[in-house]
Amino acid sequence: MKVNVGDVIPSWTMTSVSIEKMKTMAAILRDPNPVHWNRKTVAAMGMGERTINQGPLGISYMVNMLQAWAGENCIQHMHVTFPNPLILDEDEIIARGQVKAVDEDGLIYCETWLERNGERGLIEAEVTLNLHDKQV
Amino acid sequence: MSDSLTSLIGHQFPGGDYLIEHWENFLLTDCTGADLMANGVVHPIALFHVPIIGAQTSIAEMFALGQAESDFSISIESYDWHFHSPLKENVRYSVTGGIIDVQLDLDEGDRRYDLITFRFEIAGENHPVATTEVAWHYNRGATIGVHQSES
Repeated sequence: MKVNVGDVIPSWTMTSVSIEKMKTMAAILRDPNPVHWNRKTVAAMGMGERTINQGPLGISYMVNMLQAWAGENCIQHMHVTFPNPLILDEDEIIARGQVKAVDEDGLIYCETWLERNGERGLIEAEVTLNLHDKQV
Repeated sequence: MSDSLTSLIGHQFPGGDYLIEHWENFLLTDCTGADLMANGVVHPIALFHVPIIGAQTSIAEMFALGQAESDFSISIESYDWHFHSPLKENVRYSVTGGIIDVQLDLDEGDRRYDLITFRFEIAGENHPVATTEVAWHYNRGATIGVHQSES
């Protein structure tokens, strides 16, 4: 795969963030926080009757985009930040990214982010990809 | 509180091991909206919970160590993940982890918080597999509003 600085990574869309997935995720994470599985808890906080997506699920949308583009096991490093990570059930979230640099060893440096209604700033990540075959 | 928090630097969790079974990877991957990966490779997002549980701690204990005021008083600074090789199903990994940094009484606008950074290492037989650093804000006093909770 030929990669150039400035290349836009094909986006990946979660068409509707699901409370049922959040419930499963809460069990896997052993995460007791009801904001991820009880809409009434979130409503009591004045934020509407919709649960709040777990941060790792938001990250996973960027991971899915990168792996669909560059192949499984391509991610070597991710530094993820959370400017405003409030993603709610039923949101449509689009993961996007762009190549910022490519070095002589074939490592690809990207910025990735999530968008809702065309606006970014939910979750962002600087990512290093290694396209060399990895031992699996 | 400040003395007790800064004394957390160097705190080590008991450590232990973790084996990701197929059912767990299947459900985890399904939650992300992706297809299951080939050859028993685990979805990379497992690098959030596998280190925490494998090190014999929990989200709840990590909240408590930082004296979180409530489940809703935590927000995220960053996650920093290094993958040396893919995680695979049915492989027993050893996990170590602890607290590597505490910064007190930071502020951002009308928000005051303490910043605690946890570091975890996952290893296979004689080789590192992944490392992760989890940096959380423990918000103090002021209204938290829409800052997302822990995970």
